[in-house]
Amino acid sequence: MQETNSTGNRFQITPLSDRSVLVSFGNIIDASINEKVFSLHQLLLQNPFDGFIESVPAYASLAVFFDTLKIKKLTGITAFVFVKKFLIQLLYQAHSLKVTEYPVKKIPVCYDPEFAVDIIDVAQLHGLSIPEVISLHTSVIYRVYMIGFTPGFAYMGTLVQELITPRKEQPRLIVPAGSVGIAGAQTGIYPIESPGGWQIIGKTPLQLFNAKNTSPCLLAAGDRIQFFPIDKNNFANHGD
Amino acid sequence: MGIKIIKPGLFTTLQDLGRPGYRCDGIGPGGVMDFFAASVANFLTGNDEHAPVLEMHFPAAELLFEEDALVSITGADFGACIDDAETTLWKPLLIKKQQRLSFKKHNSGARVYLSVQGGIKADRWLNSYSTQIKVQEGGYKGRALLKGDGLDLLAGNSFFGLKNFPVVTALAMPVYKPASPIRCIGGTEWGIVEDESKAKFVGELFSITAQSDRMGYRLQAINLVLNEPVHLVSSPVDLGTIQLLPSGQLIILMADHQTTGGYPRVANVISADLPKLAQQH
Repeated sequence: MQETNSTGNRFQITPLSDRSVLVSFGNIIDASINEKVFSLHQLLLQNPFDGFIESVPAYASLAVFFDTLKIKKLTGITAFVFVKKFLIQLLYQAHSLKVTEYPVKKIPVCYDPEFAVDIIDVAQLHGLSIPEVISLHTSVIYRVYMIGFTPGFAYMGTLVQELITPRKEQPRLIVPAGSVGIAGAQTGIYPIESPGGWQIIGKTPLQLFNAKNTSPCLLAAGDRIQFFPIDKNNFANHGD
Repeated sequence: MGIKIIKPGLFTTLQDLGRPGYRCDGIGPGGVMDFFAASVANFLTGNDEHAPVLEMHFPAAELLFEEDALVSITGADFGACIDDAETTLWKPLLIKKQQRLSFKKHNSGARVYLSVQGGIKADRWLNSYSTQIKVQEGGYKGRALLKGDGLDLLAGNSFFGLKNFPVVTALAMPVYKPASPIRCIGGTEWGIVEDESKAKFVGELFSITAQSDRMGYRLQAINLVLNEPVHLVSSPVDLGTIQLLPSGQLIILMADHQTTGGYPRVANVISADLPKLAQQH
């Protein structure tokens, strides 16, 4: 059942599991929809209900996790009914779901084919030179839409039209940590070594994930990112 | 001193009830596969329910106790023996210095839990002692145990003072039978599953294929048809989420699942049946 709040934002609230709900604003990669997701996420963090555990933003949906038994005990009604009501009220109160604009984080990337193992293919596919690919990739301020897939993996968008590239037919078994990739209209960085199917066009010396930090991930949903090129010789100097 | 690993067994790790609160960082809660057996194991040794326990599969580890310990063994029946003499599950046991705990026969279930009174020393990461394999943190150096590893015990002499021992009645002891029905709620995308496929899904006898582990159980494909082709953008998932993969196979997300996914979520196993599911193989 679709609901609409006062600003015309359409959303659906359904159970994700028996201890979580999903607030869905659609099924597309779109900055304005993602802004709604992130705003609700921030609103919840500022106004949690008793029994709230965490909320998880994604492209066009927000999952809300809670302690079912605690809520039932406190309110006398089922957790799903309580949480759904709470979220609807929150959405109606937020007359315009505004977003805090974070400063742009600059990320150094080495686009040398030694690290950028797919950059030659990507350039060829689009009839571009490698410097043109680099220019197009670094020209945009990207939004981090969500973190998922592995710890610290930031899904960022959106690539300029000329760089939109399908995933690799055969995903790699191992993609080195720090590899910068593109897939569809998205770009992202592999924070830890993992399998991966994105086209690798660069590598960053920055540690996207550091288990020793209390906040182990460098990036979070809502962040704004811009890449800048560094050459191979300076790679070591830019490490954090 | 403590426990020496004589045989590591198949994927033996230290786990607790997990680390909720970090899904935004792409870090799932993880933790024990069977929270019921693990919690009861700790209850029987007087530990806090959040104390780390050893989670083992079959073939399970062989452990040499280098000091006296009050333990409990719950979950799967793997023919637990202390110095080759059969011992009992679901109750507190005393293992004496130089005695060995081993598991001789796979009778039922899939995961066995060992709790030690006073606790087992473990690495803490993001508020939990659970082993996070992907980033190699928590538990025992962020990895599965190997032959020769040693676990330190934290009891000291504290168990000598214990007088009243908790019991688990027979009524509370689970019996693991194959093909036990696992209850689910409809998943986020259940609505676009064709009616005939819905009927097929409910009541189908699924096999947990060999490509199954703590991340998820892969089930065979049963030709589930969707009303419309779907291309989902990545969205959050939960423990127990049953996804429909492009190959037609179904996968039930288990303890070490990823936090998000782009495959249709057809159903979700209810929390109460997760321990039962964790013991299926």
